[in-house]
Amino acid sequence: MIQKKVCMVGLFGTGKTSLVQRFVTSLFSDRYLSTVGVKIDRKPVELDGSSVTLVLWDLAGRDSHEDITTSYLRGAHAILYVADGTRRETCDQLPELRQLTRDAAGDVPMVLALNKVDLRDRWALERGDEEALEKEWDIVRTSAKTGDGVEEAFRRIARGTLVAREARS
Amino acid sequence: MSDRAPWDSPAVDDLAELRELILGAERRRLQELERRLDAAGLTREELAELLPEAIVLRAGRDRQLARALAPTVENAIGESVRRNPRQIATAIFPVLGPAIRKAIADALAGLVASINSALEHSVSPRGLRWRLEAWRTGVPFAQIVLKHALVYRVEQVFLIHAETGLLLSHAWTPELPPSDPDLVSGMLTAIRDFVADSFARDGDAGGLRRFTVGELTVMVEQGPQAVLAAVVRGQAPDALLGKLQDILERVHLEYADALAGFEGDTTPFEPARPLLEECLATVISTDREKGRVRPAAWLPWVAAAVLVLALLAGLRFRSEQRWQRAVELLESEPGIVLTQAERSGGRWSFAGLRDPLAPEPAALLASVGADTSEVSATWEPYLSLRPELVLARARRSLSLPSTVSLEQVDDTLRLRGSAPLGWLAATARQASLPAGVAALDLRRVEPIVPPELASMEREIEGRRVLFDIGVAAVRPEERAEVAEVAATFARLRARAAEIGVRAGLELVGRTDPSGADSTNRALSRSRAEAVLAALVARGVARDAIHLTAAGTTDPLAAADPAERARINRSVSFVVSLGWDGTGREPAR
Repeated sequence: MIQKKVCMVGLFGTGKTSLVQRFVTSLFSDRYLSTVGVKIDRKPVELDGSSVTLVLWDLAGRDSHEDITTSYLRGAHAILYVADGTRRETCDQLPELRQLTRDAAGDVPMVLALNKVDLRDRWALERGDEEALEKEWDIVRTSAKTGDGVEEAFRRIARGTLVAREARS
Repeated sequence: MSDRAPWDSPAVDDLAELRELILGAERRRLQELERRLDAAGLTREELAELLPEAIVLRAGRDRQLARALAPTVENAIGESVRRNPRQIATAIFPVLGPAIRKAIADALAGLVASINSALEHSVSPRGLRWRLEAWRTGVPFAQIVLKHALVYRVEQVFLIHAETGLLLSHAWTPELPPSDPDLVSGMLTAIRDFVADSFARDGDAGGLRRFTVGELTVMVEQGPQAVLAAVVRGQAPDALLGKLQDILERVHLEYADALAGFEGDTTPFEPARPLLEECLATVISTDREKGRVRPAAWLPWVAAAVLVLALLAGLRFRSEQRWQRAVELLESEPGIVLTQAERSGGRWSFAGLRDPLAPEPAALLASVGADTSEVSATWEPYLSLRPELVLARARRSLSLPSTVSLEQVDDTLRLRGSAPLGWLAATARQASLPAGVAALDLRRVEPIVPPELASMEREIEGRRVLFDIGVAAVRPEERAEVAEVAATFARLRARAAEIGVRAGLELVGRTDPSGADSTNRALSRSRAEAVLAALVARGVARDAIHLTAAGTTDPLAAADPAERARINRSVSFVVSLGWDGTGREPAR
């Protein structure tokens, strides 16, 4: 069995937790996020005939990336960033967030979930902004409400970890 | 030389060929040597450049280099330590300190655990009960302990990858299939991180090693690359920690490569499961006692009980002592005869005889600390003839003045000191004597004469009635003197009678030294009788007067012989104050 530790990071209100809620196996309540600062779920992904279990560490993000407990990032095989398309500041924080995770977990595969795609009409990002993001990030546009893009995000994460593993071995 | 040139050319070639044939091998060797010499000279700098790469290259290929270098490195380290140990010590200190600390901490934890279990098994009531059972049934104690052995069950064992928190392997008791061990493994890792971040600020303190949730205890053993966690229901024995350490070490040894290269594939760790299951197998015991009392809980009770017993024993001892002292005191007290002394249920009861003058028994008992409200006593009154009591009784019935002391001589009470004349007279007349006394001896008591009586006494005794030579008749001019004496004595007598004292008057007749003694004696008597007649004529009672014919035997003193003769032709007066039946005169 192949397991991967995946950390989910993103500021408060980006819909990080509700994004995965419907797609994962949960054992712990959301209370852990506010108490311990992390909540762990499981997401099995079937990929080209092989199966990977993603162990998702949903890291509590509050108002700033400084609130994240970095020891939870240690040993992560991949990072799933979550930003809110309707709130520009959640995207502006991404470079600092990435630096933080790189310091703690090293250069691991990253996927950015640009969430709340169902609210396109209230989108705060210009086309130019999105293009700039595309250059640096592997972006999946997601919606916690409709479920769009969520499975795709997990698949990309899973694939990323498998590729990284092959590259390293 | 020019004619030799034509065959020279081909000859050169031949020569070269010949040289090649003969010296070729040597020449090539020379060239090789030359090249090597050049190379050696060139590469001192180049070598410096190439050496690190060369080492990396070779180390990657096989372990030859390491093997070759090992003795040199060992020697170098040995030399360095010999020359300056401080340097090496400083270098390895950061590694050594934590390692030693951890080793000591683990050793101490093991020691404490074994002391705990030894204590638990040897001094606990349960331990004693087991010993009794072993003695009764003849079964070895160890087996008894095993039979009752404390119950715990290791329900799950997790082998967790230290860095990622991913579950490497997992073992559980068959009857309790766990849910989502991979999530538990992750969360456990997260919580340990959380605890370490929150509380253990000094870095590697080993992390959260043991925590308890109700009946469950989670014991965690931390290794460099993997963590072993056991979920135990019931009393997790400390010995389990040692077992976990042992297994974790074996995992690190046997799966060193798999742990180092772990990328999420848990397949290589599947063979580790039997190792984890060993922990599960250690468990058992079904007859767990309900509400088992831990030493920490029963010790205070035992201590309290011992304290209470000690207190009770102390109180009992004190009460016993008090009782002894009370009985001794009552028995030794004059005026109290103890005929019965009993003690039951904290109540004391006494019976006996008591002289009314003996001290109050309740007060005596109170003086030894007895609770007099818990004492009942029956005392029959009696009169004690113990000297103390007799004296006390006498002192009371005689209204003894403080200036008089008492002593008992056989059945006579002897009084000493000084006392008012009136009291002496009254005491002498007293018909009833105190119980236990047959007679009073007042002779050693100095009477204190009332000042009024004393002054009248002095006045009477200062007078004398003078006579002419050879004459016994009272001279007319002496009659006034006689009248004074008669009046004063009448007053004195009446005053003395008031205090019960009988006053007497002695008339002492004298003569001057001339003449015969017998004549003088008769003359002195006649003179005293003459004064007596004069006094009686003035109303003085005859029976109060006593006559003494001194003659010349007890003359009054004077320096001049004529004067002495004159004053001795006289009658003088002596007052007596009789206060006891003996008629003894008071001292003058």
